Amino acid sequence: MLKAGPAKKVVIYVGEDHKYHGQSSYSAILDFLFYKGVSGASVVRGIAGFGADHHLHTTRIERLTEDLPIKVEFIESADKVKDLLPKLQELVGTGLIEIQDTTVVKAAETEPSKRKSPAAALPPLKREGKAKMMQIFIGENDKWRDKPLYKALIESMRANDIAGVTVYQGILGYGANRRIHRDSALHLSHDRPILLSVIDTEEKLRAFSPMLDSMIQQGLVVLSDVDIITYAHDFETSDRRKESRS
Amino acid sequence: MKLEGRAKMLRIHFGEDDKWEDKPLYRVIVEKCRELDIAGATVFRGTEGYGASTLIRRPHLLSFSHDAPLMVSVIDSEEKIQKLLPFLDRMVGEGLIAISDVEVIKYVHQEGVRS
Repeated sequence: MLKAGPAKKVVIYVGEDHKYHGQSSYSAILDFLFYKGVSGASVVRGIAGFGADHHLHTTRIERLTEDLPIKVEFIESADKVKDLLPKLQELVGTGLIEIQDTTVVKAAETEPSKRKSPAAALPPLKREGKAKMMQIFIGENDKWRDKPLYKALIESMRANDIAGVTVYQGILGYGANRRIHRDSALHLSHDRPILLSVIDTEEKLRAFSPMLDSMIQQGLVVLSDVDIITYAHDFETSDRRKESRS
Repeated sequence: MKLEGRAKMLRIHFGEDDKWEDKPLYRVIVEKCRELDIAGATVFRGTEGYGASTLIRRPHLLSFSHDAPLMVSVIDSEEKIQKLLPFLDRMVGEGLIAISDVEVIKYVHQEGVRS
C-alpha cells in the first residue's frame, strides 16, 4: 500500500482505438496495473488532442469512432514503477509514457467498513504438497446399473471421501474400441467423451481403484504426480461436508 | 491393444478455428492418432483462455465463429507418442504441446472383457 512521502507519478497517453492483441490498449494497461497490485490508477478520456501522427482527434467530427486521447495515470513508489516499466513500454505501443516526481501528502485508505471483519480476516489455509491426479476417460452413454457411469462414479467417490472430482465433456474422441465418440447436432443421443479428473493422496486413490474395476467396462484410467496448492477454510468445508452427508 | 504401466500423456493446446489443409486441425489430429494406432485421443473445448499470441479466446453467444481454446489429450507409450510428434510439429502452427508422465491403472474395452 502506498504511503505518504516521495513517489512517482506515471502518465500514459494512448488512443482509445489503440489495440494490444485485440484488446483496447488502455484496458490492457489497466488490467496489468490492477493485477500487479498497483495502489490505484485512473483512466481519463480527453475530448480532443493529437499525437505523434499529427492527426487531430476530436469529438466534433461526426463519426462513430474517433480514437479520442486516453490518459492512464497512477502513483507508485520508484521501485515499483521501475519494475512495471518494461511491460508498460510493450503495452503502450505507439503511445507516450512520462514519469514525474511527486509527493504523496496523504495516502488513500480503504473505508473502515470495508475492512475485513475479524472472521473473514482469518487467512485461508494454504496447503501445499504432493498428491496424485487420477484421470478417467469414459463415454457419456456408459452406464452402471442403469445409471450414467460418470454420475455413479462421482457418487461413489463422494461416499469414499475422495477430496474432489471434476467432470469434463469432450467434443470428439476415441478409445480402446476405436469407436469415435462425438457430439453431433444431428444425433439426439449424444455420446461425448467424458473425463473425470480426481485429485487426492495416492493412498486414497489406490484404495478406491478396486471400485473402478467393478464399475468401468471400457475406458482408460491413468495416474500422475501433481503438486497441490489449495486454499480452503478447512474447518468450514469439513463441517459443511458432514452436514450435507447426514 | 494393451497399455499398462508407465506411459506418457501428450496435451496439445490450440484454437478451434485452426486448420490443416482446409480441415479442422483437431479432426486431423484425431485421425492421425487413429492412423498411428494410438490408444486413444480426446478433444476438449475450453470456455475461455489465452495462449502464445495472448489473444483472449472467448466463445461469444452472438457470434457463430468463435475461436474457442481446444485441448487434445493423447495417452500411450512413450514410443508411440514419439511417433506422433513429427506430425504435430508440422500441423500445429500456433499452440502448445506438453508431455507428462502417467501410470496406466486401467485400459479396458468390452470385447477385451468378454474374451
